[in-house]
Amino acid sequence: MSSNYAVELKNVTAGYMVARGFRSILKQFVVVLRGVNLRVSHGERVAIIGESGSGKTTLLRVILGLLRPKTGKVIVLGKDIYRVKGRARAGVLKRIGYVPQDPYRSLNPVLKVKDIIKEPLEAYGYSSELIEDRIREVVRLVGLPLNVLDETPEELSGGMRQRVLIARALVAYPKMLLLDEPTSALDVSVQAQIISLLNSIYESFNITMITVTHDLAVAQYLADRVVILKDGQVVEEGEFESILKEPKSEYTRSLVMSYQLLSNMSRSESEESRL
Amino acid sequence: MVLAVKAEGVKIGYIDEEDRVQWAVRGVDLEIGSGDSFCIVGESGSGKTTLANAIAGILPPHAIIQGRLIIDGKLVLDNGRLDFNGVRGRIVSYIPQNPGTSLNPFMTVEEHFYYILRDTKSLSRREARRIALESLMKVGLDQSVLEMYPHELSGGMQQRVTIAIAIASRPKIIIADEPTSSVDANLRAGILKLLNRLNRELGLTLIMVTHDIYSAAAVCNKVAVMLVGKIVEMGEVKALLYDPRHPYTRILLNCVPVLGVKKPLKPLVGEPPRLYSDIKHCPFLDRCPFAVETCKVEPLLEPVDEKRDHVVRCWRFKELKSVEL
Repeated sequence: MSSNYAVELKNVTAGYMVARGFRSILKQFVVVLRGVNLRVSHGERVAIIGESGSGKTTLLRVILGLLRPKTGKVIVLGKDIYRVKGRARAGVLKRIGYVPQDPYRSLNPVLKVKDIIKEPLEAYGYSSELIEDRIREVVRLVGLPLNVLDETPEELSGGMRQRVLIARALVAYPKMLLLDEPTSALDVSVQAQIISLLNSIYESFNITMITVTHDLAVAQYLADRVVILKDGQVVEEGEFESILKEPKSEYTRSLVMSYQLLSNMSRSESEESRL
Repeated sequence: MVLAVKAEGVKIGYIDEEDRVQWAVRGVDLEIGSGDSFCIVGESGSGKTTLANAIAGILPPHAIIQGRLIIDGKLVLDNGRLDFNGVRGRIVSYIPQNPGTSLNPFMTVEEHFYYILRDTKSLSRREARRIALESLMKVGLDQSVLEMYPHELSGGMQQRVTIAIAIASRPKIIIADEPTSSVDANLRAGILKLLNRLNRELGLTLIMVTHDIYSAAAVCNKVAVMLVGKIVEMGEVKALLYDPRHPYTRILLNCVPVLGVKKPLKPLVGEPPRLYSDIKHCPFLDRCPFAVETCKVEPLLEPVDEKRDHVVRCWRFKELKSVEL
C-alpha cells in the first residue's frame, strides 16, 4: 500500500486505559482522539496546536507507532504502521526523528552525551567508525561544541539539552522530524536559538516537520500550515495567514483574540503610565 | 511612601559539590514601592527566582546570604541573619511556578485553605471556609471547587486556586514565579488580567518573575532585567519597551515571537558564564555584539537621563543608542 503523503491519518480514534477508584478498581477507556483526519505531504511543515489535554502528544504517539488506535488507519511514510511487522515496521520507524517534550527529563542522566546520541545508530547497526564520524557531524550541525560529547546532561543548560535531543533525532538520517513542544520549557532567548536551528535544519535537509505546540506565535516560525485540535478533534486547519485573518472555529477565534489582547494590554498599560 | 521591599547589596549563593560558592544573586539593590507592580525579567540562571524566593522568605537553609533586605519596614535579612517571622505568609505570599505539583494531592481545596489560615491567622474551620470562598470568588471560581481535589481541576483552575490561596491570608505583597510559563495563550491572558486586577483593586504589591518581557509589560509598571545575578537595566515599562538601552534588553525584546508579525528573530548566541567563576567583567561580555576593551571591567548601574528612574549597567549605552543590533 502506498500513499502520496508522509503521514496520513484516517478517522483515528485513540485513547488510554485508565484505572479508577480506590477499593474496587474500575478499568475505563478514556478517548483522547476522536476521529482525527490528518494529511501531511512530504517536505511539509505542519504545526499541531491545542491547549493541554487536547490530544496533541497522543497524536504524535500514534504517528510514532507507540499507541495503537482503537479505530482508523495510520499510514506513515507509505506504510500502515499498525499492520506491517518486523523489518518493514522498523524501516519506517527509523526514518522518523523524535524530539520529546521536556529536555530536563528526556535525557538519561547517567549517560554521556555521545552515548545518548549514539544509541539510535547502534540500534540500527551502523559500524563503529561511521558512528564516530556521524556523531561529530551531527553535534556540529546542531551548534554544540565538541567538548560536550564527554559531559553528562546534568552539566548542560536547557538550550544545550534541547540541542542534544535534536542531534539524537537527526543522527540516523530521518525523513521526518516530530517535535513535541520544542521550546516551551526554554527561555525566550534560547527559544529563538532553537527556532532558527530548526529552520536551518529544515532548509538544508528538506525533511517533513511536524511540530506540536500550544504557542501560535512560535508556530508561525516553525510551520506553514496549522492544524488546530480541540478536545481530540481537528477543529480547523489551513495556511497560517488565512487562519489568522479569518478563524473559522470558535476556539481559534478566542485563541487569536487572546494574543491580540496580550499585546493590547502591554500597549495600553504603557500609554497609561505616559499620561 | 512606604517601601514594600528594599534590598541593599543582596548576595545569595549556594555551595556546590566542590565546596565552591555559586553566587546566584551577586549584589542587588532595589526599591519597590507599595502598590507597585514590579517584574523581574531574566534568562534561566540569572538569579531571578532566587531573588524572588529571598523576598518570599523561602530560601533553603543552606543558602549563603549577604546584604540587607527590608520588607514592609521590617529588617528580615541582615548579613546572614534571617528573621522572617510575621512576614512570611502574612505580609508576603507566594504563587508557585507549577500549580500542578504545588498543591497537595491528598487534600481538597478547602483543606488547603484551612491549614494555611489556621497557621497564619488561627482561624476556625468555618471562618477559614468563609475566607476561602471569598478568595475563590475574587479569582473567578465558585463554591463547587472547595470540595475538589487538585487532580479534578484543570491547569487554569489549579493556577487560580494557588492565586486564591496566596491572597487568602491578606498579604501586602504577592510574588508570582513564572505564573504563565507553561500555559497556552488563552489561559495566559486570563491569569495576567487577574493579577492585574488584584494589583489594582486590592492594592497588592505584585512582584512577578518571568522570562517573557511582553507578559511583564501586560501587568507591571516597573521592570528590572537581571543577567548573571545582577540587575542590568531597570525602569518604567514603557522606557524599557520603547527605549531599551542595554544590549541584552534589546536582544531580549527582539527574540520574542509576536503573532501576526513575522519579524526575523535575532537570537542571542552563546551560553551564560558559569557562576562559580569570579566575574569581574561585564556580565554580558561574552555574548555582547558591542563588547570592547573597557567591558572587561564591570560597569555600574547608571541613570540614563536626569530623571534618574531608568538605570542601565553598560559602559557604552550612550553611543549605542543609534546603533542597529
